[in-house]
Amino acid sequence: MKKHQDKQTGLIFFPAFDWAISPTHPEREERLLYTRDQIFEEGIMDLPQILEFTASLASIHDIARTHFCVPRVEDQTTEAHLIAAGAAILLADRIVNGEIKNGFALVRPPGHHAMRVIHGNRGFCNINNEAIMVEYLRSRYGIKRVAIVDTDVHHGDGTQNIFWHDPDVLFISFHQDGRTIYPGTGFIHELGGPRAFARTINIPLPPGTTDETLLYVVDNLILPILEDFKPDFIVNSAGQDNHFSDPLGSMRISAQGYAKLTDKLCPDLAVLEGGYAIETALPYVNMAIILALAGLDYTKVQEPDYWPGRFKESSDRSSQVRKLVEQILHYWHMRDKMSPDSRYIRGKFYERNIRIFYDTDYIEEHQLERLKLCDHCPGYLSIESSASHGLGRSGKAMCLSVPFTACTNCRSEAIEVYHQAKKRGTHRYVYLQDKSQDIFFGYDAGSGKEWQSGG
Amino acid sequence: MNVGVDVGGTFTDAVLLEDNKVRATAKVPTKKDLLESVLEAFDIVLKGVNTKELERIVFSTTMITNLIAERKYDNVAILLIPGPGLAHETYYFGTAVHILSGAIDYRGREIAPLNDREIESILADLSRLGYHRVCVVGKFSPRNTTHEKRVAEIIKKKYPDWKIDLGSLIGGQLNFPRRVTTTYLTSATREPYQHFINSVRQALAVRKIDADVFILKADGGTMPLENAEELPVETIFSGPAASTLGVQALIPPGETAVVVDIGGTTTDLALILSGQPLLSSKGAKVENQLTQVRTLAVKSVPVGGDSALQQVGNALVIGSGRLGPAYCMGGPAPTPTDALRVLGLTELGDPVKAEEAMTGLGKPLNLSAQDTARKVIEMVVERIASEVNNMFLDWEQEPAYRVWEVLQKKKVRPSLVAGVGGGASGFINQIAAKLGCDPYIPPYAPVANAIGAAVARPTMQVSLRADTEQNYYIIREEGFQDRLKDRHFNETKALALAKEKLIQRAAKYGLVVEAGEIEIIHREVFNMIRDWTTTGRLIDITVQTPRGITGRIEGGV
Repeated sequence: MKKHQDKQTGLIFFPAFDWAISPTHPEREERLLYTRDQIFEEGIMDLPQILEFTASLASIHDIARTHFCVPRVEDQTTEAHLIAAGAAILLADRIVNGEIKNGFALVRPPGHHAMRVIHGNRGFCNINNEAIMVEYLRSRYGIKRVAIVDTDVHHGDGTQNIFWHDPDVLFISFHQDGRTIYPGTGFIHELGGPRAFARTINIPLPPGTTDETLLYVVDNLILPILEDFKPDFIVNSAGQDNHFSDPLGSMRISAQGYAKLTDKLCPDLAVLEGGYAIETALPYVNMAIILALAGLDYTKVQEPDYWPGRFKESSDRSSQVRKLVEQILHYWHMRDKMSPDSRYIRGKFYERNIRIFYDTDYIEEHQLERLKLCDHCPGYLSIESSASHGLGRSGKAMCLSVPFTACTNCRSEAIEVYHQAKKRGTHRYVYLQDKSQDIFFGYDAGSGKEWQSGG
Repeated sequence: MNVGVDVGGTFTDAVLLEDNKVRATAKVPTKKDLLESVLEAFDIVLKGVNTKELERIVFSTTMITNLIAERKYDNVAILLIPGPGLAHETYYFGTAVHILSGAIDYRGREIAPLNDREIESILADLSRLGYHRVCVVGKFSPRNTTHEKRVAEIIKKKYPDWKIDLGSLIGGQLNFPRRVTTTYLTSATREPYQHFINSVRQALAVRKIDADVFILKADGGTMPLENAEELPVETIFSGPAASTLGVQALIPPGETAVVVDIGGTTTDLALILSGQPLLSSKGAKVENQLTQVRTLAVKSVPVGGDSALQQVGNALVIGSGRLGPAYCMGGPAPTPTDALRVLGLTELGDPVKAEEAMTGLGKPLNLSAQDTARKVIEMVVERIASEVNNMFLDWEQEPAYRVWEVLQKKKVRPSLVAGVGGGASGFINQIAAKLGCDPYIPPYAPVANAIGAAVARPTMQVSLRADTEQNYYIIREEGFQDRLKDRHFNETKALALAKEKLIQRAAKYGLVVEAGEIEIIHREVFNMIRDWTTTGRLIDITVQTPRGITGRIEGGV
C-alpha cells in the first residue's frame, strides 16, 4: 500500500478479558492486562497519530473462505475468535480504503498455528486471523500480491500450510530453530509447493539470538526479498515471544529490537500473535510496535531490566546466521527456475502426505494433499483428512479448494470431484471452497444436508 | 425549597423549586461583578420567601471554562516523573516542564528511584524564576503515590509557602498526559475559582441564607461548596450538565432524547438514554486540552442563532464565529436568526431588517429572501442533525475489551428532540423531523439550566485497587495506600471495603449514604498466574453514590 505519512495508525485493542483456553493457560484473561495498563497510562489512544477502532465479528463465510472447519465453522470458533479475526479485517479494510496509513490488531486469541483444515486447537490457535484477513482482501478488493512476515518465536506453520501452494502470497517466518521449540518445523528447505517455490521462506535462528543479528537478517534477507517480490500489502504476524524474558522462547530480543524491526518492515498491518512474558515484555514491546508504526519516537521505551549492550552476540552465532542468510538468498534467486520434484508426481497431481498434531486438543490428523498441476493456473487442491481424537476418530473429510485465479477447467473439475464425493459417500464431510467465485459449500453425508456461504 | 443558579457568560439564571414545582424564575445579564448578578437573580426568585425555608442552593458556572479559554490564570511549574515510555518531548503543556528521575510501573513497583539532589536543584531554579505553584505528576502514580509524596515533602520543607498539587489525587485514572493536564488546570485555576466562591459566599451572607450550598460538576453531580476548592476543575463544563439535567427533569421518565441547546454561537448536544444522561467514557476536553474530568457526553457544535452567514461562490456558508447580534437586532451580518424572522419562526427583531439581510445574502444566487431563509434553516438543521447522528455513532463505537461487550452492542436512536436555549423554538421542529423524532420544547426551557442545577444531587466515588500478591491496596480518590492485613482478602471483602470507604468519605462531605443504595460502576478481578499457580489477585472496584435527580418537575408558575 502507498504510505501517507499524514494519516493515522489504526489500532484495535481487544484483550478478550473474559476468554481463556483454561484458567492457568498462558493464553488466559490476564495476558494483555499489563499491556492495557501501559498503553492507557501512556495515553496512546489520545495521540493524534492514533485512531482507535472497536472490533466487530468476522462472518462465518470469512472463515470458510480460508479454512475447512470440521464439521462446521461454528464448531471450531467462539465469538472471541470471530472478534479477533474481525479486528484484522476491519483494520485491513480501512487501510485499503486509505482511511489510515497502517494498523495494529492487538488482539487475542492468536492464530498463526491454525492450518487450512481445522479439527481443533493447536499451538493456542483455532483460526488463522492473518490468513482470513488476507483472503478477505483478495476477495473483496482483488489485491494481487501479499507478503506475510511472521516474527513470532514459533514457526508460523499454520500460515505456511495455508499459503504453501500460493504463488501470490509470500510467507516469510523467522523463529527459534525448530529443533529447540514448538512446533518443530520451519527449516530452510521448507520452501513451498511446486508452483510457489520460495514463496515460503523459513529462517530458523539459533537460541540466544540478539537484536543485532536479527536486524542483520532483516536488512540482508527479508528486506531484499520483499523488494524483489513487490507486495501490494504487507502483514506482520507480530509475535512477541522472541523477547529475552519470554518463558516459552529462548531468544534475546528487546523492545528496542522489536521497534526497529517494525520500523524497517513497515508493515501495512501488524496482528498480534504470541508473547507470554505478560509483565516483563508485552507492555513494552506492544508500546514499541505501536510507536514505530505511528512514526513516533520509541527510543525511550525500555524494559526495567534492560540496558543497551546487555546482550552481546557470540561470533559463532553471528557467522552461523550469515551463512544461513546466504543459503536462503540462493533459494530465493532460484525461485522461478525449479521444477517439481518428480517423486511426488502422480499423473497430473502433485501429492504429499501430511501428519499434523494438535497439541492443545491432542488430535492427530492425517492428510493426503493433492495439487492439480495445471499449465494455466495455480491448480485446485484436494485434501482428504482424517483425525483421531484420543478415543475415537472423526469422520473423514474431503476438502476441495479452488484458487482465486483458477482457470475454468480446474474450477469445473473441482466442482465435479465435489459432486462425485457427495454421491460416493466415502467421506463423512465434503467441502468445496471456491475462492474464484467466493462461495463455499459443505455437505454432511451423515444427515444428507448441504449448506453454503458466500456467493 | 431549593434554588438553582447558573452563572453563564451572558446570563445568570435562577429558579426556585418547591415540592418539584417551579415557584419563580429569573434571567439577568451577567455583570463584571459576579456578586451583583447573583444578588439580582436571588432577589427576583426569593421575593417574598423566608430564606430560613431554603434547604439547598446549587450553583453551576462556566466561569472556569471561560478562564481557561482566555488563559487568565497563574503560572504553574510542572514536575514530571515519566520514566520509560513516550519521548519526553511529547510532554508539552505550554508551561515550564521539568523531568525528574524515577519511575513506577503498572503494578506500582518502583523501577527507578528519585534523585533528591536533582529535585533540589530544579526547585532552586523555579524559586529563582519566581514560581510558587507546582504540580507533581508521576506516571502510574495512582498505583503508588510514594514518589509524588516524597517530592511534595521536599518542596514543603524548602518552600513552605508554595502551593503543591499531586497528580495521584487529582487524576486517578490511568492516563498520564491527561493526569498532567487535569492537575495543571486545577492548580492554575485555584485562585480565580476562589474568587468565584467568595462572591457566592458574600451573596449568601448579604441575604442571610444559611442553606446547604453545592456546586454542580461536569458529570451532573454536585459537591458541597466548602469542598469545591479542592477540585475546581471538576466544575468546568457544568454549563451543559446543567441544561441536560434540566431536560431530564422536564421530560417524561425513561425517554431516550437528544438535548439540543441552541445558543448564540454554539449548539450544545447531550444524550439522555432511557432517562439517564450519558456519561463520556473519557474525560472532558477543555479548550482542546484532554483531561480526566468525569463529564456528561456533550458536544459543542459551532453553529448558533448569531453565526455569521456568508455567500461564497454558489454556496451559502455558516461561519464559525459571531460578528455581533443578528442583523434584525442591529448586528452587522445576516444570521440564522434573520432567517427565522423572515419565515415567521421567531418574533424577535425587526422583520424589515431581517428581510433585507436575507435578500442581500440570496441576491447573487438569484434567490428570494424567503428561499434564502429556507435554505439557511435547512443548512443549520442538517448540520445539527448530522452531529446528533455522529454522537450516537460514537457511542455505539466505543471500544469494547470483553467478548460480551462486543456482543451486546446495539443501535439506539432517540425518540425525542428536546430544545432549550434561545434559538431552540425556531429550529427544533425541523431537527426533530430530520431525525424522525418528536420535537419537544419543555416548559421553562429558557431556564432549564438553572432547573438542572436545582435538581442535581451530590455524587461521590471511591475506587479501590488491591494487589494481593504485593499485599497492598490503594484508595485512588484519597491517595491512601496501606498493607492488606487480611491474608484471605478477596473480591467480596474488597467490595465491602470500598463501600465502607465511600460512606466515610461521604460523611466527611456531610453526605449520608446508605450501603444499600451504593452503585458499583466498575468491577474487575484478574487472577495472577505465575508458573501455573495462582500467586495473587488484582481487584479494581469503583463504587458511587446513586446518580440521578431529586425529582421531576411537575409544573409551577
